[in-house]
Amino acid sequence: MQILAADPVIHIERFQMKFGKKVVIEDLSFDVIRGETFGFLGSNGSGKTTTLRALLGIYQPTAGLLQVFGRAFSPEIGGKLGYLPEERGLYKKETVIDVMTYFGRLKGMTREASHRWSVGYLERVALADKAKMRLDKLSSGQQQKVQLGVTLMNDPELLILDEPTKGFDPVNRRLLMDMVEERKKDGATVLMVTHQMDEVERLCDRLILLKDGRSRAYGTVSEIQDQFGKESILIKTPDLIPNSSQYEVLLRGVGETTLQPVDGVKTEIILRELVESGLKIQSYVPTKPSLESIFIEVYGNEDQSDEDRS
Amino acid sequence: MKRHNLPTVISFEVLRTFKRRTFWIGTLLVPFAIGAILGLNIISNSLGAKTSESQKDARFTFEYADDSGYVNADIARVFGGRVTSDSEAAIAAVKSGTLDAFFHYPKDPTRDAIQSFGVDKGIFNNGKYGAVAGQILKLSAEQSIGNRTLSTLVINRLDLKSITYKGGKESGNLGDVIPPLLFILIFYFVIVLLGNQMLTSTLEEKENRVTEIILTTLNPTTLITGKILSLFVIGVTQMLVFSLPMVVSFIFFRNDLKIPNLDFSSLHFSFVPMSIGLLILIAGFTLFMGTLVAVGAVMPTAKEAGQIFGVVVTLLFIPFWSLSLVASNPDSLLVRIITFFPYSAPVTAMMRNGLGSLSSAQAFVVIAELFILGALVLRLAVRLFRYGSMEYSKRVSVRAIVSQLRPN
Repeated sequence: MQILAADPVIHIERFQMKFGKKVVIEDLSFDVIRGETFGFLGSNGSGKTTTLRALLGIYQPTAGLLQVFGRAFSPEIGGKLGYLPEERGLYKKETVIDVMTYFGRLKGMTREASHRWSVGYLERVALADKAKMRLDKLSSGQQQKVQLGVTLMNDPELLILDEPTKGFDPVNRRLLMDMVEERKKDGATVLMVTHQMDEVERLCDRLILLKDGRSRAYGTVSEIQDQFGKESILIKTPDLIPNSSQYEVLLRGVGETTLQPVDGVKTEIILRELVESGLKIQSYVPTKPSLESIFIEVYGNEDQSDEDRS
Repeated sequence: MKRHNLPTVISFEVLRTFKRRTFWIGTLLVPFAIGAILGLNIISNSLGAKTSESQKDARFTFEYADDSGYVNADIARVFGGRVTSDSEAAIAAVKSGTLDAFFHYPKDPTRDAIQSFGVDKGIFNNGKYGAVAGQILKLSAEQSIGNRTLSTLVINRLDLKSITYKGGKESGNLGDVIPPLLFILIFYFVIVLLGNQMLTSTLEEKENRVTEIILTTLNPTTLITGKILSLFVIGVTQMLVFSLPMVVSFIFFRNDLKIPNLDFSSLHFSFVPMSIGLLILIAGFTLFMGTLVAVGAVMPTAKEAGQIFGVVVTLLFIPFWSLSLVASNPDSLLVRIITFFPYSAPVTAMMRNGLGSLSSAQAFVVIAELFILGALVLRLAVRLFRYGSMEYSKRVSVRAIVSQLRPN
């Protein structure tokens, strides 16, 4: 399924990436639409980080079209981007304020504006008194806050977050999500790589599932739930539910039964059949499969501990 | 071509180095050490000169025996001396303290030493005996010559100007050779002093895992160029700081330090050899810096990269091991090889340029070769940096390097 947006912030078409003979991305196409939060999912080694690096011009793609804001990425448009890579770090031997000011300037801010923004941010995250300290003298949680500040400098229109909560403590995770939410309210677009399915279900408008360098699923969360995994129905009734060719009984409990429609049978038809058979139905809840179960279905028993080949 | 964010990179790299206390400690240590040595030298020379000056006219009783026949008795008398034929008795008198000193002038004072025996007056005053003994002989010699100009000619060195010809044209003398050779000094200084910094600087982004964010705001070529230029600024600053005590000493304390009065007017800065020297310097600098960036890009840590840096510095010294051959037989096969082998070419070619044995055609080939190779190596270095710095703690494999060499 390919959705081609009229004015995508990110447009990837027939992207292919090889390192020597090793094919990392076979053929990948997707768009990220302005203002949406897009989930970029895949198991370790599926090529997510490679795709991001190629999109941002760090790697040269073997083939395909990769565009940000309607053209191939160049550092000149880096000022509109907030990138939080999976491998994170800053100049540890420099002071917090010097590092932040430097990155602000690299993103196109003036020295004064960058300094002012940094001071304001450090006050907000309670690090104002650490501004002139070297980064390596800060705790890892404090360094994470500085890293986050660098990502959000210059109020980026596009946020690319590669496993944003990885390594973050709960306080900084909350801070990150709040700040991302603020940027979204201002109309920013977010592309997020994550393994946290609850985050995806809660935050993402659309997503893509990558496997072996190819897209396995692409669309809204609901579309993917429809596409993958079978819907189940939780029925509360004091009566015994009879067997039927329309569904399969998955689980019988006390006053509660879980059914799964056979392929092609709609939940409304099953409901009508049960009502017509005289059952006293107290509740009837069709449930779509969770993203986590879809993820497990797609990736099966792949070794999740494999090093990400990107 | 305007490079996005280049000034920002340069100012950041330069300022953060200048803000580092260790940089200034390291940089100022050298002139302080030189200043301290020169200061001690000035004090020592000043004390020595005063002592010598006062001691050569010192008055004390002494006897002397003159086998040379050059000592003027009247002059010796003015200093308080009288001639004796009994050296043994005079030495005994000195030992007993009844006579201050005894001097023995040998038959040939130019070959044998003048002996002085004196009563110990302390380590700083004992020098007066030798000073007076020498002064008496010097004044006696001047008296014998009887002409101040002739005396000066005898005592001082002659100023000679030598002109030689090669192929009917006046060939270069030392004044022509020295200026182009100064580029070798600058080259060594720049590579040895800044090379390791270049390696460390390249690895810094990788070791700090900051490359990915940096590369979304600027081109890797810009980053590398910014680093090279900022190191150049830092290097120039260090050179100025290092040379400061020497310049101050030469201008203000030349006499105190007994520095010869250098005649800079004898140095000839000819346009062609100076231009060739400058071009070889820039091209060689480009090649070596590009190489160091490439090494930094593929090595995981500064420690491992440092071993490669050692090899690079060794290559620089190859021409010096064959210096005599380069000077005496520049057309030999070995000299030709090291003239054109890229990593020994800069120093060898600069040497031969200074010595006047590098033809225009050879100079052109070397400069072109170094510039082309330097540009290729820099290009490769940028690619390796782009890819290698993503590998973080891993060493980049040969296969990966080759895959990055392929044109896209």
